[in-house]
Amino acid sequence: MFLTDAEMIKVTQQAELNESTLAALASGRAEPALDLFLDVLMKMRGILESEGEVISGVALEGEDPAEMSVDALAMAFAAIERGGLARQRALAYPELSVLPARLREAIASAESRSGWKTIGLGIRTLDLGAAGELKAEIVRVAPGMTVPRHTHKGRELTLCIHGEYMDSGAVYGPGDFSIRDPSIHHEPKALEGAPAYALAVTDAGLKFDGLLGVFQKVFGL
Amino acid sequence: MGGKGNSKPAGETLGDAERTRFADLLVAVAERQDRQAFAELFAYYAPRVKSYLLRLGADSALAEEIAQDVMVTVWRKAGLFDRVQASVSTWIFRIARNRRIDLFRRSKRPELDPEEEMILPSGVEAPDARIEAMETEARVRAAMKDLPEEQILLLKLAFYEGLSHSEIAARLGAPLGTVKSRIRLAFAKMKVRLGDE
Repeated sequence: MFLTDAEMIKVTQQAELNESTLAALASGRAEPALDLFLDVLMKMRGILESEGEVISGVALEGEDPAEMSVDALAMAFAAIERGGLARQRALAYPELSVLPARLREAIASAESRSGWKTIGLGIRTLDLGAAGELKAEIVRVAPGMTVPRHTHKGRELTLCIHGEYMDSGAVYGPGDFSIRDPSIHHEPKALEGAPAYALAVTDAGLKFDGLLGVFQKVFGL
Repeated sequence: MGGKGNSKPAGETLGDAERTRFADLLVAVAERQDRQAFAELFAYYAPRVKSYLLRLGADSALAEEIAQDVMVTVWRKAGLFDRVQASVSTWIFRIARNRRIDLFRRSKRPELDPEEEMILPSGVEAPDARIEAMETEARVRAAMKDLPEEQILLLKLAFYEGLSHSEIAARLGAPLGTVKSRIRLAFAKMKVRLGDE
């Protein structure tokens, strides 16, 4: 099935990524926002696809050691003295501290950089500042609140990371995600009782066509 | 440098005892901020992380800087290392890889190439049988020992260096179809559990 215009697809089934996609993820070649999205998705769904990383760990051991400058270790210790130990920074919303470590760190770092922005009644967003051409942000919807009906300039991938929300007739819980065509109007509504959070990856309408094809193939849509 | 971590010839990987020792060292860094333990890890891993970055096209100064930075991150995040989840090498590779994502704007690189064949062979079950990470580590290492040199090279180019199948075909002067099928074959062997054959 291919996504046609004006369509939104909810994806809940287990997905297995093939070796070409895994290689792109393991090596860090994928677009950063998409890399984050897939990494978080796989962790949330309990998919351990670490063969590629083990291959890379073994390859690292096999490297011909490059020469470091004579004071490299001393400089590392100096940097360590300056920086101290990494502390777990408290997040603005403590319920998010259970998220996979990489996303949690991205949130902590974005909170100290740009911070949450209120974009409507009960709606806040946090730009994760992903390198590359795609935008990754966290959207928080307060309990029972609705994101006003809107469309996006580009396609949007939305992964529910915490809580539950209803969108276009389907309920999304942690690990569920949707792929949305730009022309779709939608108004996600958090269920009563708890806020809902989503990781949203969007483009400016230019880049996703190719990526979407990848998703359709990867997830067998 | 010339510490004992550098004395191994290139291409040689760590044995079980050495991997256990490195995990002990990293735990010592986490629990006691053990500088001697860190120095030993640094002597082994910093030059190799630098080689990895040089391989990816960083110049010498940048590779040195990122390798330093990766090792400082190793110190700072040592408390997050879980020896049941990963070997030290795999864990440090991930840190280096993530620094790579942060630092290189890969504008010239094709990312996931939409033209590449992405569909999995049929008959793959949903992976609800979750395989323990450490078993994966042991399984992949064992499988790599048995793999012909040529297939190891293909896996390294794809997973470690992050070349697309077409880039690998161009680099090796081999037909794209051959590259695809051999990588698939080699990677499939990584996924066969010990004792399944």
